[in-house]
Amino acid sequence: MREQLLISEGARRFKRLGAFFGHSLLTGVASSSIIAILFIFYFIMRDALPFFRIEGVKEFFSSAHWYPSREDAEFGALAIFVGSGLVTLGASIVAVPLGVLAAVCLSDILPFSVRQVAKPVIEMLAAIPSVVYGFFALAVFAPLLQTKGGSVLAIGAWIVLAPLALVSIAVASDVVASRSPVRARAAARVVAAALMGSAAVFALIALGGFLSRLPVSTGTNAFNVSVILGIMALPTIVSVSEDSLNAVGRELREGSYALGATRAETLLKVVIPAAGSGILAAVILGVMRAVGETMVVWMASGNAARIPSPWFNLLEPVRTLTATIAGDMGEADQVTGSARYHVLFAMALCLLAFAFVMNVVSEYAVRRSRRKGR
Amino acid sequence: MRIGTRALFDRSFTFVSVVSIAFMSAALLVLLGPIFVKGSSAFVFRATIEHRELMLDRFDRGNRDALAAERARTDAARAPVFEALRAFEAQLDTAGADFRRAHRGDFNELADLVRELLGPAPGEEEPVLMRGQYGQTRWDRARIKLRAILFVEDYDYSDPSKMGVKVLRPRVERFRGTSLEPAFAELEGGAGDMLLPRLTWYWRFLFDGSFDSHFFGGIWPEMLGTIYLVIGAMLFAVPLGVATAIYLAEYAGESHFVSILRTCISSLAGVPSIVFGLFGLAFFINTVHVSPSKSVLAGALTLALLVLPTVIRASEEAIKAVPLTYKEASMSLGASRWRTILTVILPAALPGVLTSIIISMGRAAGETAPIIFTAAVSVGQPLAVWQTLAQPTPALPWNIYNLATEHQAIDEIRHVQYGMVLTLVALVLILNLTAILLRARISKKLRG
Repeated sequence: MREQLLISEGARRFKRLGAFFGHSLLTGVASSSIIAILFIFYFIMRDALPFFRIEGVKEFFSSAHWYPSREDAEFGALAIFVGSGLVTLGASIVAVPLGVLAAVCLSDILPFSVRQVAKPVIEMLAAIPSVVYGFFALAVFAPLLQTKGGSVLAIGAWIVLAPLALVSIAVASDVVASRSPVRARAAARVVAAALMGSAAVFALIALGGFLSRLPVSTGTNAFNVSVILGIMALPTIVSVSEDSLNAVGRELREGSYALGATRAETLLKVVIPAAGSGILAAVILGVMRAVGETMVVWMASGNAARIPSPWFNLLEPVRTLTATIAGDMGEADQVTGSARYHVLFAMALCLLAFAFVMNVVSEYAVRRSRRKGR
Repeated sequence: MRIGTRALFDRSFTFVSVVSIAFMSAALLVLLGPIFVKGSSAFVFRATIEHRELMLDRFDRGNRDALAAERARTDAARAPVFEALRAFEAQLDTAGADFRRAHRGDFNELADLVRELLGPAPGEEEPVLMRGQYGQTRWDRARIKLRAILFVEDYDYSDPSKMGVKVLRPRVERFRGTSLEPAFAELEGGAGDMLLPRLTWYWRFLFDGSFDSHFFGGIWPEMLGTIYLVIGAMLFAVPLGVATAIYLAEYAGESHFVSILRTCISSLAGVPSIVFGLFGLAFFINTVHVSPSKSVLAGALTLALLVLPTVIRASEEAIKAVPLTYKEASMSLGASRWRTILTVILPAALPGVLTSIIISMGRAAGETAPIIFTAAVSVGQPLAVWQTLAQPTPALPWNIYNLATEHQAIDEIRHVQYGMVLTLVALVLILNLTAILLRARISKKLRG
């Protein structure tokens, strides 16, 4: 009876062999990702290193003279590095506060039904192809900046700063009221609000006037690209930070509420610090999206390889690493093997190395936040 | 702090964070609004008789007799203008040198502008370029051309302290008192009769080939190229990605190898897309020689690498979402691990895996940087399937870039650019919407 149920020894061995082969095959296929990343590093490096052999390292990183097509070519990429950095900085100024706030709002503040509507908005922002963002920057935003640059900046400043001013005046006047004698409280609140309100309005008008007088010589500049890149980086920042905010357990929040903290205090003093490394990872991933983005900067950054003066002047055209690679390869491909061809690979190597390091850092941060969450 | 202040601060914080969500939604609206409004003008617009004639000539679409009747009407309306031009040209030849010097340049400019608006005059020899053979096919473009005929753009420098102010001067002033003067009134009043604009629903914009570098026709070569690239990328990425996902979800424990593998996958996801493009050029084309130069195959391979991490991650989640009880039930019936995966887990995870594939398709369709050096050309014909192995193709994202920055007459073909952008956005959003709906159904099913 028992012998009939069991499979014969040979069949069992065959089966085990099959499982072993299956397992190794699957392991082999799975390791294709490792092979892919190794190959990417090898082949980018193989074409990048000849550049450093031909031209040396120092000029590339320290000089801002970018004349690759001249007779005595110069390959100083400093201005291009500065351009990439400037655009990325601008994008993170737009994306980081907005993204983290939005993530907090999604994870803790909005009711479930509203969240179901807000989530697809973020998914759509993430899904829109980069060339569409680039086209918008070039065909809609740039002409607007070019013709009405100053007023666009002033209106933008109003839209961003007015709600902030309103909220901080409300809180500050309440603080003033609470410090004054009980009988004069209402009067103190009104006076403080009126004083600070008029000061804020005055400051905003002054700022608006200053911004609207700024000369905007071209619509395709670093400011344009920064805003668009910031919007592109938002979905990454929001979704990754939201995950890490959700990973902070209920116990922490409930403990804080039990001590009498309000929601804002709980979020600012307990939840956000606890999710800190996850939010850091989100910011890194979002910034990486801005650094590696090609089409938007190629179409709308102006592609001028010089350092803006002063260096933080976002209203001047800049040129970035990605746009240089995309734009120059068309000509350089004809002269495969020349320094002009290899310099683009050298830039790609810098991008790749930066992305790799940042990625490892963010991965480490995510792992740490997960361990903490548990 | 007082309790009241703390409550107020709490409410202010809520307000600011809700404003940030509102900002994001507003950004999406501001972005998509112009694209949808202007993009639809590639499909629905007031087409002139020139458009109908083009359709009949090139695609044999439309009613020949009705067009002939319309043509007779427009010819009658145009006759006075062409007559006046011809008469004036004859006058130029016979009149004295002063008259010629005063009017020759102005006349040539005017004749060129009229030719752009209405097409070549009857009896004139056929121009080589197609854009010379037809007048304006769209009434909105025709209105702009008409304005250019009626008014000359000039700059007023009378105030030396300021920049020149743009002013429009009526062109007719240059021909005051000559035989051409009445032609301007004729053009101003009778342009509608000369072109017969009619609201047209041109859905074939998606499926028509393009003529004369996108001055006329549709975007079929780009559509087809994008479809080839996406399908090709999926052919490589899906088997690799799903197999890796199965390995990670079912076989891998917490070994050292697996943590390296995971790091590599996330690094692959973090590689800038332009670097993928360079890698595709250096590896697939210059080293492996999958094709002599750019080709759909090389582009598809590059895109496959790009979407691989997306496929792996989403598929792994889908496989992990299959309840453990399924697996246990199958194992307890004596099925081997392989059998369980193939007959129980994969079918149950299939909708989730499909979702991941659909999202990656949207990503592959929109990526531009990886195909610049590996697959994309600006002008090309629709390819047959076997040609994809060795030939490059136009593709929607690349041609949006190309038409918006490198085309010879960027402003004249804005509608084509917007049409392409709308098509690409619609394609990607529809794919993502499908994925979202599919995911909602799955989560309902797995829960209930």
